[in-house]
Amino acid sequence: MQPLTLLAAFVATPSRAQLVRLTPVDIAVIAIYFAIVIYIGFYLKGVTNTSEDFFMAGREMTAWIAGLSFVSANLGSLELMGWAGSAYQYGILAAHWYWIGAIPAMLFLGIIMMPFYYITKVNSVPGYLNLRYGKGTRALSGISFAFMTVLMSGINMYAMALVMKVVLGWSLNFSIWLSTATVALYVILGGLRSAIFNEVLQFLLIWAGALLVPILGLVEVGSWHNLKHQIIHNIGNTQYVHLWSGLGSFSTNSMGVNWVGIVFGLGLVISFGYWTTDFLVVQRVLSAKDLRSARMAPIIGAGFKMLIPFFVILPGLLAIAVLPFHLVGQSVAVATGQHSYNEVLPLMLVRYCGPGLLGLGVTALIAGFMSGMAGNVSAFSTVWTYDIYGAFIKKDASDEHYVSMGRWSMFIGVLISVATAYLVQHAASIMDYVQSLFSFFIAPLFGTVILGMLWKRATKAGGFWGLLAGTCTAVGLWEWVRLDPSALRYVALSPNAKAMAQDLYRALWSWLVCVIITVLVSYATKPRPEAELEGLVYGATKLPEEHDDHWYQKPIFWAGVIAAAFLALQVIFW
Amino acid sequence: MREISIWFFSGVLFLIYGILITAAGIWELIHPLAHPPVLYHLHASIWWGAMMAVAGLVYTIRFWPHRKS
Repeated sequence: MQPLTLLAAFVATPSRAQLVRLTPVDIAVIAIYFAIVIYIGFYLKGVTNTSEDFFMAGREMTAWIAGLSFVSANLGSLELMGWAGSAYQYGILAAHWYWIGAIPAMLFLGIIMMPFYYITKVNSVPGYLNLRYGKGTRALSGISFAFMTVLMSGINMYAMALVMKVVLGWSLNFSIWLSTATVALYVILGGLRSAIFNEVLQFLLIWAGALLVPILGLVEVGSWHNLKHQIIHNIGNTQYVHLWSGLGSFSTNSMGVNWVGIVFGLGLVISFGYWTTDFLVVQRVLSAKDLRSARMAPIIGAGFKMLIPFFVILPGLLAIAVLPFHLVGQSVAVATGQHSYNEVLPLMLVRYCGPGLLGLGVTALIAGFMSGMAGNVSAFSTVWTYDIYGAFIKKDASDEHYVSMGRWSMFIGVLISVATAYLVQHAASIMDYVQSLFSFFIAPLFGTVILGMLWKRATKAGGFWGLLAGTCTAVGLWEWVRLDPSALRYVALSPNAKAMAQDLYRALWSWLVCVIITVLVSYATKPRPEAELEGLVYGATKLPEEHDDHWYQKPIFWAGVIAAAFLALQVIFW
Repeated sequence: MREISIWFFSGVLFLIYGILITAAGIWELIHPLAHPPVLYHLHASIWWGAMMAVAGLVYTIRFWPHRKS
């Protein structure tokens, strides 16, 4: 039996529910992707010798590679399918998570925060917290990040395996072990450099595999104007095609949120927390070869991030207009055998793509999942090795020892991820708990980091107690609503608020508590001498001068261009 | 040793995919599908695959591995 036929026979287990039937051409497209990914891992092992190579990709990535990797680390297939489903469910409001929920924060990282991360030459965000606030804050942030990262990786793995089962009919075990073995191989061999190379590949594949759907979809409906009319006709109101005009009140939009939650909860706290302090994405920018590249990387990433709704949100909207049946929630889909919202992207792929193109689309989804897992595992390994093992367990080991520890921790991280995936399989409620747990740390961490960078008076005690209080606030509010769902009206300040509003307002309150406690405790404790803050805080740091030959080479110019395009999109889709 | 750029890997992958998808599109033209996708008459496989192949070829040549000095 030919290898491709063997693989096809193995993976394409007939299933009544499966959406996609792959042809040998599709299987070949998928197999080639796996082959090239593993080859890259073996190739990069030869150029990965020191800890700087392994954990920071040698700090020699160009702005374009670091920028694409930065945005790609977040672009997992679950993210793609989930938000395409949200677009079907809530309309164009879902685009807020790509625009106001990302672009301002990415530009802020490039222009304001990157110099501090970069000139301190820290290897991680907890590493910066150590320099600014001391070991306590580093330990709190490092341990919570490391723990949650591998758990999230496992949950994503399980969720992806479920998707593969529904879409392709693959068994859970096959999806989990095939992807795990591949990711483990190339990440352990090549470290962060290997993860970044594959993230760039994944990014290109997603564009090649998913962009055809909105192009053909718009050809089918005729134009954006026709699409809007068709959606309004099918839904019965205009909420699904306006970005801002329905956000005046919780009751005038499909999500049950308002503009305060979107602007401050999502746009300020969650977005800035994720894009500027989550080490999973920040690590990619730290790998840049110089400060200018490190500043340009998030700006380049922002430019591409802004375009992603055209192949994630637009297919969801097109589905409302062109699909001859209605999609339903996951629980209804399971009970009735209908298709769920989350299947909208595969459904649209099947609608427009024949053999070959379908394989490309499926490869893009698989690549997204694998690079997401690689991102989690490489970030976990770095934080474990530098901020926990190197800081508290074995401080003065050799460089070779830390590289070896990095490889072993990646291996262990992968195994914990697999164990989590199987644990979740038998206790699905754990998924909700862990996903919520992850959100508990991001919002207050942003408060701690931003005060540390911009306010000289912030003290060690202030940083530690602020972070702890903010995290406890997030946990407390979540538990309150879990025990008494009617408490949502107090958390989100409206009886019309829906579940999405809880996440936005919980983040906002926990960030505010973190900031207030940090300020109060800082004023009550002795400040650090200004000389100790050099390189760590705005106003106490002489930022290196950048010598760009032309005005159009300056990061601030390109940040302005992206900001103008972002504002234009808000007005166009108002 | 020869230093291989990520753009070279991307070019090779796109070139291979482009050739495969274009060939599948031409095969469909000769042997029409029993259940064709929507807008099948536009033959997206052929022009999308061809664009990928051209882009892949350009990147493969432009970033062909060179010997590191």
